[in-house]
Amino acid sequence: MSPLTRGNPGETHLMMGNEAIVRGALEAGISVAAGYPGTPSSEIIETLAKISDDIYTEWSVNEKVALEVAAAASFAGLRSLAVMKQPGVNVAADFLMHLALSGVRGGMVIVAADDPGALSSINEGETRLYAKLMEIPMLEPGNFQEAREMTCWAFELSETLNMPVLLRTVTRLSHASGRVTLGKLPIPDRKAFFRFDGDMLDPMEGPIMTPPVGIKHQSQQKKLQQAAKLFEESPFNTYEGPESPELLIITTSICDLYSKEVVALLGVKDRVGVLKLGTTWPLPAQPVLSRLATTRNVLFVEEVQPFIEEAVKVLAAGSQLDLSSLTFYGKYSRHIPMAGEMNPERVTAALSTILRLESGPVSPVSKNYPGTSLPPIPPREISFCPGCPHRASFFSINTVLQLDNRQGFTCGDIGCYSMGMLPGGFFTLKTLHSMGSGSGLASGFGKLDKFGMDQPVVAVCGDSTFFHSAMPPLVNAIHNRSAFTLVILDNSGTAMTGFQPHPGLPVDTKGNQAPPIDIERVCRAMGATTRTCDPFDLKATQKQLLEFINGKEENQGGVKVLILKQACALSPKKRHTQSFEVAVDPDRCIGEACGCNRICTRVFACPGLIWDAENNRATINDVLCAGCGVCASVCPQNAIQRKEFP
Amino acid sequence: MIALNHDPYNLIITGVGGQGNVISSRMIGNMLSARGFQVTIGETFGASQRGGAVMSHVRISSTTTLSPQIPEHQAHMVVSLEPMETLRVLESYGNPDVGVICNTRPTHPIGVISGRLSYPSMEEMEKTITRLSARSWFFDATAMATKIGDPIFANIIMAGALAGTGELPLDRNVFEETLKSKFPPNKVALNLEAYDKGYGMINRD
Amino acid sequence: MQILGPTELSHRILNGDLCTSCGACADLCPYLKSHGVKIANVFACDRETGRCYAACPKTGVDETLLSETLFALPWKDAPLGHYRRLYMAKQGPKTPKGNYQNGGTVSSLVIAALEQGVIDKAVLTGSDGIMPRPRMVTTAGQVLECATSKYIAAPTMARLNRAATEGDRNLGMVGTPCQMTGLASLRTNPLARSDFEDPMGMVIGIFCTWALSAQGLFSYLERQEIDPLAVRSMDIPPPPAENALIALEEEVKELPLDDIRKLVLPGCSVCPDMTALWTDLSVGALEENPEWNTLIVRTERGEALVDRAVETGLLEIQPISQTSVDNLTLAAANKRKRALAARERLGMLDPAFQKPVEVQPKQTIMGFK
Repeated sequence: MSPLTRGNPGETHLMMGNEAIVRGALEAGISVAAGYPGTPSSEIIETLAKISDDIYTEWSVNEKVALEVAAAASFAGLRSLAVMKQPGVNVAADFLMHLALSGVRGGMVIVAADDPGALSSINEGETRLYAKLMEIPMLEPGNFQEAREMTCWAFELSETLNMPVLLRTVTRLSHASGRVTLGKLPIPDRKAFFRFDGDMLDPMEGPIMTPPVGIKHQSQQKKLQQAAKLFEESPFNTYEGPESPELLIITTSICDLYSKEVVALLGVKDRVGVLKLGTTWPLPAQPVLSRLATTRNVLFVEEVQPFIEEAVKVLAAGSQLDLSSLTFYGKYSRHIPMAGEMNPERVTAALSTILRLESGPVSPVSKNYPGTSLPPIPPREISFCPGCPHRASFFSINTVLQLDNRQGFTCGDIGCYSMGMLPGGFFTLKTLHSMGSGSGLASGFGKLDKFGMDQPVVAVCGDSTFFHSAMPPLVNAIHNRSAFTLVILDNSGTAMTGFQPHPGLPVDTKGNQAPPIDIERVCRAMGATTRTCDPFDLKATQKQLLEFINGKEENQGGVKVLILKQACALSPKKRHTQSFEVAVDPDRCIGEACGCNRICTRVFACPGLIWDAENNRATINDVLCAGCGVCASVCPQNAIQRKEFP
Repeated sequence: MIALNHDPYNLIITGVGGQGNVISSRMIGNMLSARGFQVTIGETFGASQRGGAVMSHVRISSTTTLSPQIPEHQAHMVVSLEPMETLRVLESYGNPDVGVICNTRPTHPIGVISGRLSYPSMEEMEKTITRLSARSWFFDATAMATKIGDPIFANIIMAGALAGTGELPLDRNVFEETLKSKFPPNKVALNLEAYDKGYGMINRD
Repeated sequence: MQILGPTELSHRILNGDLCTSCGACADLCPYLKSHGVKIANVFACDRETGRCYAACPKTGVDETLLSETLFALPWKDAPLGHYRRLYMAKQGPKTPKGNYQNGGTVSSLVIAALEQGVIDKAVLTGSDGIMPRPRMVTTAGQVLECATSKYIAAPTMARLNRAATEGDRNLGMVGTPCQMTGLASLRTNPLARSDFEDPMGMVIGIFCTWALSAQGLFSYLERQEIDPLAVRSMDIPPPPAENALIALEEEVKELPLDDIRKLVLPGCSVCPDMTALWTDLSVGALEENPEWNTLIVRTERGEALVDRAVETGLLEIQPISQTSVDNLTLAAANKRKRALAARERLGMLDPAFQKPVEVQPKQTIMGFK
């Protein structure tokens, strides 16, 4: 049993940031939680689904729907949680703007997990600006304990204001672990009922909608003022340092820990104070202004955009402070980089420059340490796992587009298969943007024949991405007679984020039976020509794809959908199983000789293979090989042989 | 509470995606947290699972909550599941006083498999690692783990070895308790075997 | 002659518009593959030397080596190459009836070779409308299906390479001079592979002066409002005809030869070979008499096949007139002269053409981190 549900108040446990958020939500007595998987947010819904039978947990089809599902619970008087990574907030933004205006009833918290440094994302987007844009209050936990406490309090705040509350976390908090002292788990009253027959403007009993916009917007503004007032007293805003510091650091989120650690490490605790803000929108005026009055130098430490920096400057400009006596350091002064995540080194560099410290921005250890002048260490490019169906799929897509020889290209999408842009995916992807955008771009490219474009267009998307946001562009393409081939890389789960189920699978979020939605039948019903192949069967896959791409007269043009179905090698059902015993016959392997030039290791490059340069032969890495046997089909010499396991 | 050699104590566990870094760091973190230490574990996962380099920063203090990132060149111990990753970690976090426990089984990155890059020889790496650290231990934990039944146990062998160094107050009983709360009995026995094998690899003099 | 690799082949020939799609470089390895009438580079191969380069008739032809390997004779620079006999020939009384363009000599010889067991299978060029399609055949019926003239270049050699790589031996092949040159180069075992075996049982060349670009012809037909896929066959009558005949379902359209000639592959202009010099037998039209073919017998085994074909009634031969020989020699010499001039003009005789190409390696991306 998990301490998340069992732990008693006062106990201390080592918890991941995301687990602390889960505990906070449980302590707030939530009834409904919905989200869409995305690093670094996934563990929240995943954990809730695993540990609690009292609440309804859902992996929704996308973030907008997740927000709507959570909002419905709130409308019915229950506390609810919506969870997503930052790009998901973009997806949910349309509904969010209306929800912010209409207001909510039961406490409702949106956890948005940002990924500064794009550690597992393909952008470095910021959720905090949404708080301002949507005009809703925002909290930013700065450590593990706060992650629990703030989450719990956010529901109370939401109910006080009748507004959704944004809780912004980052990878370095969500995926890090630290000690959390637990609070009390309530026994909530979970009676859902949607009242709608009160007065139009009654937040608790009337219908819930945005009109009349003028009045609602005014009331929204009043609520924000109320929030700012509450934030003035909030214990989540703290100050540590001398009464009149030479330099005041204003920081938030995990950057607080970097700042405090570096201040201690550099021995400048008597010169530098740290104002940590936990309630970052609307910015509470008093705690900030009173601190600004005690110093002449201010450094902002935050990621990724200068959000607090701007807000504080606006606040200062409207205050009685003598601005000429204040110097602001931060992203605008370039003391803190505009892009990338924060770390102790960046804070060290900024402090060293501003305080003119002798050690300078370089740590004294590194100057004489020989480790800093090593010859280059080969980088470890990420790639598809041994036995990954995507490697085989991209091998075939690439082969077919080259054979077709009209400079066809592939529009990428979001999932493990985004790595199709890397050498391990044969550089197959030529565009890569948001969820579902591969299909949308392909729909557009497919209409450019009118302007002389005769390059074949392929789009890829995963099974989960298909439901998330590839269906509308597919409908668009079919209706508008666009022409492209959509390859659905169906590996039976949301693999990149840890095999969360999606609507195509016969199980729901909690693993109970659920009606699966058949991707191929959906596509056919839309009007696409569809086929399904096993990507491990390179020959059949390539034949079908070639037919779709430079097809025979009868199926020329239009939208074709090829479903390449093969479960992920790491999926629970496949892990630790091997279809084949794979071995290399050294007598047949010709290594680098003409006729092969080791296509298995040089091109196909599965990590389950080893290139033995000394003997000019390939071998199998017994520890890593997943036994899919695809390399045997790639080998032109029949040197790689696969034997079915009995 | 037992005093730490250094406070904060900065431990890095490194390896390649899929080698069980995260489990290893959490086991060690739990063992220390259970003894009342403030533990912060910093790690990233997601894309790094797919054969990329992975690194967990385990930070231990008896007084304060630390950030999830160890400042450059401030590691006290590097536990490495892959030899080349040891070098990568030392390059950024090493210092003349650092200790190293290194699994000698290489995992070739794609660039090496495809022949664009070459993988340094173990001899060469061992020499460099010895030069870059105050004390170091080398053994093939993957081979030992395979003997126990699964190469994945290399991560627990390394945890056992770390305990063997006596650098941190790691208690086998706490490890066993933690195992029992997470794994079925047959797995507990195998993990304990791995832990003890690793413990035995360290020459304590 | 220096053998370079796929990089040079791609840069100088495939992308340099000198490729005539003979297919000699294709399907020897997993990298260069034929698809339709095109050669595609599926994945990059970074070898500095390759059979693909050695096989290409455009990168340069080592005539001395070919002559010594195939005929065990020193190369002599004669327009018609080595030959033992010259005949006029046509199908024999036992040859099944077919839609032969001239005397049906090629089909008769292939059928004879199959019947005599000289070869087990043969790689020919069939067609699908006007699109040529390489085919592997084993029966007389299949041979007849392939018996029409093709005007579009076809990668027939790729089909042969595939068969040879898969282990087929005792193969027959009918092909154009560029295809035959590619085949001959491969039969010299360039790069000296230890597992090399000559897969050929009989090599029959056909005379050629040029071939058309498929893409060029298709777009030309489309401009003439003819659906290329609806064309059943195409025929270019001997001079003084001025029009090509395009047979559709219900009518035959005539298109000016002057237009058609503009669609000739640029690579054909550098081809010095009219009569397929590197074969056992070479066959072409006999200008003086469309009922007959010219037959050049180059090797002993070619001669034996001709004799057996005549004996079994599959072939008729007659002595050829000196005028015909003179005309043929002159035409072949002229083609050779023009090709050498073209090669010089295009810088192909420049030593730099035989030097490795420097390429920047494709950028490596570190990944998401």
